[in-house]
Amino acid sequence: MSAKPAHNELERETGYGTDLWRVIAAPVVWALHFLFCYVYGAVYCAKAGRDAPLDQPTIVVIVASLVALALIGLSTLQIWRVRARSLTDNDFEFEHNTPEERHRFLSHVALMLCVLSAVAVIYVTIPMLYLSTCR
Amino acid sequence: MRRARLNIAGRSARLASATLPAIVLAACSPEQSALHPAGVDATELANLFWFMTIGGAVVWCVIMGAAIYAVVGKRRPRSERFADRFVFFGGVAFPTIGLAALLVFGLALLPDWRGTDAPDLRVSVVAEQFWWRLAYEGEDGVRIATANEVHLPVGATVEFALTSTDVIHSFWIPALGGKMDAIPGRTNLLRLTPTKQGIYRGVCAEFCGTSHALMAFPVMVHEAADFATWLAAQRQPATASGADAFVAAGCGACHVVRGVSEAGSVGPDLTHFASRRSIGAGTLELTRANLDDWLIAPTHIKPGVRMPSFATLPDAERTAIVDFLLELK
Amino acid sequence: MTDTAAQEQRLAKAWARPKGWAYFSDVNNSVIGIWYISAAFAFMLFGGVLALIIRTQLAVPNNNLVSAETYNQLFTLHGTVMMFLFAVPIFEAVAILILPAMLGARDLPFPRLSAFGFWCFLIGGVFVCGSIFFNAAPDAGWFMYPPLSTEQGGIGADIWLLGLSFIEVASIAAAVELIVGVLKCRAPGMHINLTPAYGWYVLVVGAMILFAFPPLIAGDFLFEMERAFDWPFFDVTRGGDPLLWQHLFWIFGHPEVYIIFLPSIALLAMIIPTFAQRPLAGYSWIVLSAIGTGFLSFGLWVHHMFTTGLPSISLGFFSAASEAVAIPTGIQLFVFIATVMLGNVVRTVPMLYCLGALATFIVGGLTGVMLAVAPFDFQAHDSYFVVAHLHYTLIGGMLFPVIAGVQYYYPFATGKLLSRKLGIWSFWLSFIGFNVTFLPMHLTGLLGMPRRIFTYGALRQWGDLNLLSTVGAFIFAAGFLLFVWDCVRPKSSEPNAPRNVWKAGTLEWAGKVPADDWGLRSIPQIDSRYPIWDDKTLLATIDEGKGLLADAKEGRRETLVTSVLDAEPTQVLRVGTPTWLPMLAAIGLGGAFIFPVWKLWWPTLGSALFFLAVVLCWLWTGTAEIPEKQTKDIGDGRRVPLYVAGPQSTGWWAMFITMTGDLTAFLAVLFGYFFFWTIHPDFPPIGIDGPGWQWPMVAAGLAVVTWMATLGARLTNAAGQVTLSRGLLVTGIIAAALTGVALMAGPWTTGLDPTAHSYPAIVWGLVVWIVLHLMAGMIMQAYALARSIFGKLTPRHDADLWNVTLYWHFTGVCALLTALVIGGFPLLQ
Repeated sequence: MSAKPAHNELERETGYGTDLWRVIAAPVVWALHFLFCYVYGAVYCAKAGRDAPLDQPTIVVIVASLVALALIGLSTLQIWRVRARSLTDNDFEFEHNTPEERHRFLSHVALMLCVLSAVAVIYVTIPMLYLSTCR
Repeated sequence: MRRARLNIAGRSARLASATLPAIVLAACSPEQSALHPAGVDATELANLFWFMTIGGAVVWCVIMGAAIYAVVGKRRPRSERFADRFVFFGGVAFPTIGLAALLVFGLALLPDWRGTDAPDLRVSVVAEQFWWRLAYEGEDGVRIATANEVHLPVGATVEFALTSTDVIHSFWIPALGGKMDAIPGRTNLLRLTPTKQGIYRGVCAEFCGTSHALMAFPVMVHEAADFATWLAAQRQPATASGADAFVAAGCGACHVVRGVSEAGSVGPDLTHFASRRSIGAGTLELTRANLDDWLIAPTHIKPGVRMPSFATLPDAERTAIVDFLLELK
Repeated sequence: MTDTAAQEQRLAKAWARPKGWAYFSDVNNSVIGIWYISAAFAFMLFGGVLALIIRTQLAVPNNNLVSAETYNQLFTLHGTVMMFLFAVPIFEAVAILILPAMLGARDLPFPRLSAFGFWCFLIGGVFVCGSIFFNAAPDAGWFMYPPLSTEQGGIGADIWLLGLSFIEVASIAAAVELIVGVLKCRAPGMHINLTPAYGWYVLVVGAMILFAFPPLIAGDFLFEMERAFDWPFFDVTRGGDPLLWQHLFWIFGHPEVYIIFLPSIALLAMIIPTFAQRPLAGYSWIVLSAIGTGFLSFGLWVHHMFTTGLPSISLGFFSAASEAVAIPTGIQLFVFIATVMLGNVVRTVPMLYCLGALATFIVGGLTGVMLAVAPFDFQAHDSYFVVAHLHYTLIGGMLFPVIAGVQYYYPFATGKLLSRKLGIWSFWLSFIGFNVTFLPMHLTGLLGMPRRIFTYGALRQWGDLNLLSTVGAFIFAAGFLLFVWDCVRPKSSEPNAPRNVWKAGTLEWAGKVPADDWGLRSIPQIDSRYPIWDDKTLLATIDEGKGLLADAKEGRRETLVTSVLDAEPTQVLRVGTPTWLPMLAAIGLGGAFIFPVWKLWWPTLGSALFFLAVVLCWLWTGTAEIPEKQTKDIGDGRRVPLYVAGPQSTGWWAMFITMTGDLTAFLAVLFGYFFFWTIHPDFPPIGIDGPGWQWPMVAAGLAVVTWMATLGARLTNAAGQVTLSRGLLVTGIIAAALTGVALMAGPWTTGLDPTAHSYPAIVWGLVVWIVLHLMAGMIMQAYALARSIFGKLTPRHDADLWNVTLYWHFTGVCALLTALVIGGFPLLQ
């Protein structure tokens, strides 16, 4: 990714491929999506009353889910590109002691977390298909 | 569509429920059991329970079978790829699909429960330490106060409006359906539809202090006509004579007996006390001896109760009060 | 004397354990770890006795063994003790004991902090447990729901709130210690992809603690303000709401379940590969599973509140997340089974417990999936079904794995082996006893038995099932006691276990038996996940002192600090030596938490000042010491610095982690503000004016001045302008004091009465929170100033100033946010 000479340890490490923040990017998107949906739904229902219809929240939640899925997809795509470059031998053990291997490993974990986060976002959207009022 | 799916699952679950646990359940009192459903919701949930339990048991057996096989089974060389696939199909693919299906199926019950159409009957419930203040809404909108005993017409959808004046309680009639908390400052709604006549029992399910264990109530499910008769009777003021001892002992400071004393309402409304089955919110059966004990040592029977002891009252006066109370049909 | 013998002697001298009474001043992780584990198990036994009394009371209908009042104290304390004094601390205890050896470190980066955490835990634990002997124990349930817990007289609730807040300090301390340990103290070459699975779990759990415990601390803060000063956060008659507590409690409470579960499962991830004699099949899956579970576990808290009447949209979201979390949770179990399938199993007692844990936990997991379906929870909630469920998850997911871990690591910690025969007996007794106790409870619950009832009538016909559970409980207890006996029985006549007795592959087994105080003779270069298996010369390299840091020339306790991802050595860290300071600090802080129970404000203040004095002394004498030379030869021709500052230093990371937790707590209090906004149609309520926007804006301005002055002090100091830097620090102190005054002036001048309504109470709550932080910040600025004046902080050696600045980044943001919210939000309404 970066061929710049590193000035300090942190920069050298984060400059090279996937770091820990990239790994948790997708779950963070899930967390923000979940928090948004919950807070939005709770505030909407608290202010609109028990029998208020959920038409607007349904749309908002579905849009939020699409945005979240898009963001996770973006992250997946980025990682996929690096992964495709480095994961050619289908060796999923990642047990060599090189920075490249560490990078391949973190990319792989990041990729799996993208999938998990996407599944979780979809799960969280399911209830909206049933509910029609704030009760 | 949704309903159809539910019924298919329900039927297979009912089949299983008829055989497997019948022996265990037969020995149990069905009054307060979620597995002896007598309401629409309780039935759906009992089916859901058996369905999930059987599914869970199968999953458990498969996983433990694999684990035990792994430990004691014959060694065969296997590749890392096998492990990867095993984890993927067993730990990712199957649960993802299975849980999604369960979610779709389980949450489908939510909207039915929380319908917005007008219920057939409304009952207001105020939970207090450690009893239930009830008020039925009569046909002309009049409030009919009672306490500690719920009567319902079979087949009608009843909406309970729950709140509390002190701490958090929870209103639960297992045979009819799920529970709902009664929280100070909030009014929660709970809908139940009994389907079978009979006598059931409800309890407080949220820990509410010293005598949480003794905060229950009988539930009677009647034919619609019987229910109407009961409600009409509850609406009448008390007709009993001999209230003097009751009034003189100061009982009226806390208890309402409509037509006799309507000053204080700290404790349960006693207007039709003798028509109920229990004393002290489901604690004792209503008999003369129990009632006398209750007046003598209420905190001994039900620790933390606010009812004072009337042990110092001369026996004759206490008997007069008991006589009066037992006449409050 | 040969060269290596001299080296060994120097190491031995540097790492020697204090003798006699001074033993209790020790801070080394291997000693603290043992104390910690012993104390946690002692509390566990106490909690177990409470459970047996509970079970005996419920054995037959209408039993009157204990009164209702006593029963309520018993189950409250049982839950509290098992959760706060066993389940969470045992994770910290085990990790403190084994993590450094596993990572090839000589000690954790902050040994004195571990000791401080332990003493806090012990003092707080004894205080909370002791209350029952004075009939003063908390009796409102371990979840302390108001209004029940606010209305109750007596000191039970205060003991719970203050005692546990105090213990939570220990958890945060452990989280700081362990996160920095995993990230910065791995042996050279131990890239993040080679870190033992246990390390990943510890990292995830440490991070979870930072986001889960602070909301409870914030909740405790609000709650104690209500109990002590009548600020009505939870009182509905004055605009409060009991549900706020439930949210704060369960935002802590549900992740906590996973905070308990993950590190125990982590032990299985170490044990199973050893006895399968092969690497974990699916290391990446494990990491995925740990991180995924860590995240999803924060989306579950409302499933404890399904019956509180929240709108179904909320139930739906939390139902969905509660199902989703089962996916990553399940993955790790499949990885374990796959590992066993691929390996050659050695049948040992730890493996038996692993299998038992699996069988038990899966039941708990499956009932968890059932309970996550909101409608089913309406029936099962608060019934014995949930009691069965939670015991299956906690005993299968925590207790059995921990016992497996103790069986497995016993030789590591003591050099002796546990008895195989006793182990098998204790396993079967425990396992059968456990299932006889809890399996019937699923049924009892669905037959309508609610939780937390001290008695039940004979008409209910729950008697047989309850009697069965009681019999099972005693069998379970017998099995557990057998295990405890096996651990404590004298073993001095038995031979030592051979080195690496289980033929494991990970680094913690490289130590000699009996273990040396200094850990490994020298720190090897690591290049695989199972170095002992893969590098046949590893032990020789270590023993011959050919690794790094084989000497203690200066007679100091030293450990290596390495980089986060690739574990390149970046510093030699001189760690703390035995001292009484942590214990004294814990006693001081304990006083500050315990005296308020009786509203003894002067002793409280005295204890707090004592604590402050001890901590300052500790920091002044023991941290950021300017070394006698800039770099040090660590062997193998490598030289690394002895002093680093800023993001490369462990101290900076510790501050960063602590402040992340602190920020979470602040956000939880801020959540309270907006929570009240959602429940009130008019917020601020009509008729209550304040705090106005003028004073908060002044405070915001001053907060920025303080913040910038502190940052400026660091930059100018680094540029060599020491006088200017000191001037900026003085400016910072003054500006911080004025910020506090301005912040309080708003609600004060507009006459906001915190006892009148929840709105003024939450405004004052935020203000008090920030003012306390400003005061701490001023002490830090003054400390840095003093360090500079006394020559302990120079332009080159400026770690203190880095850390103080980092503190102010956080506190500056919080003060600014507070000022903007309390001043600006009312304008929007």
